[in-house]
Amino acid sequence: MNGPPDNGAYMVAAYVVIAVVAVSYAVSLWRRSRRP
Amino acid sequence: MTDAALGSMAAAPPASARLIRRGLVITVIGLVGLGLVYYLALVVTPTERWQGLAQKILYVHAPAATTTLVSFLLTGIASVAYLWLKDPRIDAFAESSAEVGLAFGAMMLTTGPIWAKPIWGAWWQWEPRLTLTLLLVLLFIGYRALRSAIDDPEERGRYSAVVGVMALVLVPFVHLSVYLFRTIHPQPVVLKPSEPTLPWEMLRTLLVSWAVFHLPLYIGFVTTRYGLARRAQEEAAS
Repeated sequence: MNGPPDNGAYMVAAYVVIAVVAVSYAVSLWRRSRRP
Repeated sequence: MTDAALGSMAAAPPASARLIRRGLVITVIGLVGLGLVYYLALVVTPTERWQGLAQKILYVHAPAATTTLVSFLLTGIASVAYLWLKDPRIDAFAESSAEVGLAFGAMMLTTGPIWAKPIWGAWWQWEPRLTLTLLLVLLFIGYRALRSAIDDPEERGRYSAVVGVMALVLVPFVHLSVYLFRTIHPQPVVLKPSEPTLPWEMLRTLLVSWAVFHLPLYIGFVTTRYGLARRAQEEAAS
């Protein structure tokens, strides 16, 4: 019987994208909040 | 009024500064919550047999998608309220929720194709759900462009509210498109009339992720962005 397909790289890519967008947007807001 | 009272008023930070600070604190809580979601999804939740590890993309893609829709829906409601009441605070909220919606939209539109490639064999399909979702995101990119092109605050608020109102039509249409048209996009597994069709371990992770995306992440982002918009309005008024 075959196991699950080997597609873990796609999962890693998706989770990296979510983290990058969430953290980048948070940093963007923080930088804008510090602008005098 | 006493000197002490006047002194405390002068020292008190403006409402926008308090909003920004609270928003940033909630955002940090949201990012910590996102870390918990990653732990649950990647370590605790079992791997689905047929889709393999790519199925775990669901735990972040679906909450990002619904948060996008909620953000745009709230912009639409705020747009109607602004056209009626002409309150600049409502316009600031509409602007904030639209921008936050675009951030979640970026997550949705990148993780969707990353899931589709190993499962469908193609990054993108021009089918109703995906096409309507792309149209919705493009509408709000236009909304942002329109806002940056108009200098007069009242005119900017009025024109952008007219665009924002379109979300009230498009968002329900996007959600219902899987029922209205023949589509290869998966049917809802939780937000549907019958019971959820996921094993408990998977459903738990999805519900935690939904809570994190919709509550601390959305609220943190939108509160901070609203504080920034209010600060800009205060500076323009002074």
